[in-house]
Amino acid sequence: MNFELNGVGVYFEAPATMTLLDMLRVELGVKSVKKGCEQGECGACTVLVDGYPMTSCLILAPQVEGRHVCTVEGLVDNPLMKELQEAFMENGAVQCGFCTPGMLLSAYALLSDNRNPTEEEIKTAIEGNMCRCTGYVAIIEAILDAAERIAPD
Amino acid sequence: MKPFTGFDLLRPPTLVGVLEMMSTLELATPIAGGTDIVPLFRDLGSKPVHLIDLGLIEELNGVEEEDGKIFIGPTTTHSQILASKVIEDVAPALHDAARWIGSVQIRNRGTIGGNLCNASPAADSAPPLLVHDAEAHICSLEEGHWIPLQEFFKGPKMTVLEPNEILAGLRFPVVKGAGSSFQRIGRRKGFTLSVVNAAVYVEKDGEKLKEVRIALGSVAPTPIRTPSVENMIRGKNMGEDLVEAAAAACAEVAKPIDDVRGTAEYRKDMTAVLVKRAMREAWRRTGGDL
Repeated sequence: MNFELNGVGVYFEAPATMTLLDMLRVELGVKSVKKGCEQGECGACTVLVDGYPMTSCLILAPQVEGRHVCTVEGLVDNPLMKELQEAFMENGAVQCGFCTPGMLLSAYALLSDNRNPTEEEIKTAIEGNMCRCTGYVAIIEAILDAAERIAPD
Repeated sequence: MKPFTGFDLLRPPTLVGVLEMMSTLELATPIAGGTDIVPLFRDLGSKPVHLIDLGLIEELNGVEEEDGKIFIGPTTTHSQILASKVIEDVAPALHDAARWIGSVQIRNRGTIGGNLCNASPAADSAPPLLVHDAEAHICSLEEGHWIPLQEFFKGPKMTVLEPNEILAGLRFPVVKGAGSSFQRIGRRKGFTLSVVNAAVYVEKDGEKLKEVRIALGSVAPTPIRTPSVENMIRGKNMGEDLVEAAAAACAEVAKPIDDVRGTAEYRKDMTAVLVKRAMREAWRRTGGDL
């Protein structure tokens, strides 16, 4: 099976019973994709498939044939992701870090579509990402802060 | 967690290919987004299941308006429904329901056909489609036919689909000037299953309810319509008294059970609350005051 991972073509023979999460994290070593609930509830395994956030634990690996899969590793040089990461650090939006890659991808997808989100829109965008450390307030503030940073002047 | 076993995944490129596999393979099961069924694969029986992926069939995906009807492909995701201007205009209840299904990640993956075929009594797509008089296209390799969506559900997790059949489409009429509303109560606001949900559809003629349809979820073994209540209020003048009467009657029709998400008593009471909210909002959406 061929697919694109963070902009690079990948060939991998994935069995039907392998989730996208296991293929990425266990087989291909993409460690930002976290294994949490494995039921689509916690959002720690969130990846972007053709730009849309999805939980990789609910996707069977062969289903991404020909698709573009993106994780935070693929966005290290992306200006929007850089602003988000800095805003997360400066606003205390990271504690244990387990939810952070998924949270960043959900925030990235939101800000890619909507440069000036309301607090309510931010809450909606991250409703599928559980954080058990920060209580969300710092994360929401970080995303608002990142939106401000990317605003034209 | 224990790894998945006991299935293979087939990805036919054509609808005929899907239907051939459905009719020839034992234990063939369609899969689209997989958000409901993938978690179940940890506990499959000893017989291997053939998952038939509908994801490559373009004709099963998307929203189209044609000849006064809206057609929705079964693999249309909740996010696609939410983004559809024509759904927002013609069937606002369905648009609102799509907003409250799962999370962003689930809405990007989960499909309207999957939501219906999973046949949960609490499925949020069902009440809006029921009140818009939706029909379901049932297809096998031999033939296809349309049935009222009401006849699609047989019980919790049970539909009329035979082992060789799939849900191949949904359609409902475009009615100018009609209004609809979807309301739900969950244990919290976001990313949660409905404890009770309801949808109301109205057509307005002056102050009269020219047409009204009400559907309730999570208060019976399947999502239900309430013909007795609809017949009681159809043609009457709209007003708070009528809303109260309809809500009380719906609470009587509701036959919920106690479960982990709520008690039967609570569900009955909330049925009345949601019917009121939905009736008022649907009426306002036709331009009516209330």
